[in-house]
Amino acid sequence: MTGRVIVITSGKGGVGKTTSNANIGTALAKSGKKVVMIDTDLGLRNLDLLLGLENRIVYTIVDVVEERCKLKQALVKDKKNPNLCLLAAAQTRDKTAITDEQLKDICKKLQKDFDYVLIDCPAGIEQGFQNAIAGASEAIVVTTPEMSAVRDADRIIGLLEAKEEIESYKLLINRVRPKLIKANEMMSVEDVVEILSAELIGIIPEDTGIVSSTNKGEPIVNDEKSLAGKAFHNVAKRISGDNVPFLDLEQETSVLTKVKKLVKTVVDKVRKESK
Amino acid sequence: MAKEKNNQNDFIVDVSNARKSSEIIYEINSTLSMPDAQNKNICLKLGSVNLSASELQSIRALVECMNSKLKFICTDSADTIVAANELNIKISEIPNKLKGGKEKTSAELEKALDKIFGDDYFDAGDYEYDEKPVTRLEMEDSAETPEEKISEKTSEKPSDKPAAKEKSADKPATDDSVIIMPPPAISLEDEVIKAIEGREKDEYRRTKNEPSFVFDDNGNDITEEVRQGILATEKLQTLYIQRNIRSGQSVRYDGNIVVIGSAHPGCEIVASGDITVWGILGGIAHAGAALEDEEYNRYARVRALKMNAIQLRIADVFARRPDSVNLPYIQKSESFIPEEASIKNSRIIIQKLYEE
Repeated sequence: MTGRVIVITSGKGGVGKTTSNANIGTALAKSGKKVVMIDTDLGLRNLDLLLGLENRIVYTIVDVVEERCKLKQALVKDKKNPNLCLLAAAQTRDKTAITDEQLKDICKKLQKDFDYVLIDCPAGIEQGFQNAIAGASEAIVVTTPEMSAVRDADRIIGLLEAKEEIESYKLLINRVRPKLIKANEMMSVEDVVEILSAELIGIIPEDTGIVSSTNKGEPIVNDEKSLAGKAFHNVAKRISGDNVPFLDLEQETSVLTKVKKLVKTVVDKVRKESK
Repeated sequence: MAKEKNNQNDFIVDVSNARKSSEIIYEINSTLSMPDAQNKNICLKLGSVNLSASELQSIRALVECMNSKLKFICTDSADTIVAANELNIKISEIPNKLKGGKEKTSAELEKALDKIFGDDYFDAGDYEYDEKPVTRLEMEDSAETPEEKISEKTSEKPSDKPAAKEKSADKPATDDSVIIMPPPAISLEDEVIKAIEGREKDEYRRTKNEPSFVFDDNGNDITEEVRQGILATEKLQTLYIQRNIRSGQSVRYDGNIVVIGSAHPGCEIVASGDITVWGILGGIAHAGAALEDEEYNRYARVRALKMNAIQLRIADVFARRPDSVNLPYIQKSESFIPEEASIKNSRIIIQKLYEE
């Protein structure tokens, strides 16, 4: 068994790399795949927080590299899903503690036991980024519909294209706000895709539930009502090869609009019949 | 700024508060676009701004664009009086302080021009749009620039056609037959295909467009020089790049560069010859650059299917994107209008490569 190694990166910070990583990983694990997530953001680790696994970390990736433990010992199993594992970053060290070759080795070893190896990339394009993409053969570039994030994503895609090992990269657009797009105050998804000329793998709507889910340490994909959760599930399905249509983000949720829609459809029906 | 009705048909526009030619143009533009300022004889109060003949000419062209006529001007500047005399523009009977001032030599006028249009590196001017499509090797623009500064203000709106009218500026404005119709333009597609097939590009041009006359600043015929310059540029080696150039990437080549793809904002393309982008040009393009201690090449050109470069640099001339198009969403491929940038009278001018 050789799993796919996917790096989730963005260039700019704060666009939702770690959140995407946690949610996509959890969604893939929920669909029965064996998933391991590697946090390469040494010194600024967050992925364990989002998954609620902070208190279970005994060994980190630096311990593995410096041979203080075996690789399998360092893997932290998820609370709910035994298919999901985390290889945490060291909080007390910095990016220079590991090299790209070492990370490549770890990815190769994990590939044998897992369907998916998801690498959480730190922000920036320095050593941390170079480490993170070293072992990957696929990439997901996370961006938001803001000019700064898009520009940085463009830079990242350029670096990924130059790297021979990366066979494909896909675009994940996060924090999309349909209302603002409608008011022409935010770049639309089409705009971003156009500017970056990259293949789209998912559109995640802005969701206030993300904040509480992060604080609780529970990925939002576990919340079945959340639109963002659904979007992440769809991304996971697309990664595993299913052809899922993109969500209609302009879903009207208030009761009044639902009633209005109902009346409209009834009126339309009556009109058609009378004709 | 004040405007008063004098006679029924006379209209005084007071721009004496303006300190720069661009301010004057802006004021005139906004005043004359009002409906009651149409079809009037305009009396222009200019104050103490020093205007060159070319600037004055463009102001006159602007006035004529607005369906009005420049009757006379009123100025305190000796330079402006000299310029007005050159163009046969009447000067107001109202006595001016400096009316009898000595005539300035052309060198002094040039100096005054440099003050206004100095091509400073850090203060690079906006690049300009010329509504007239490119006419290959047919560049009778010695009298056209730098007063084309006017086109920067107006040509962005499709309704105005100052650039086309400028040519007829020193002839009666009503005579439409004076406007020179552009000859059929060459499509960029043909050119690139030709280039890809490795045929001789220069041959294609020579046969289709007979060069007309080009003059330098002193009125000398430099047609042949420009022609040779362009042909020499075309004969340089060409680098083909068949992918997008992304932010942070830089391409340098001693020769021409053809990009089959887009050049995204944040990238940098530097060539000693021409740069052609078969896509959107959003980054910085520097054509005719002095690479490896060579001399820069002022005959180099930059072409793109959509010209949205943050900065255009040709040889030693730099121009930035006008702030008015600095919108984040602008870089969409919906409307591809192939355009070409070249140097004319030390300024970067963009022209359409063909009209729909």
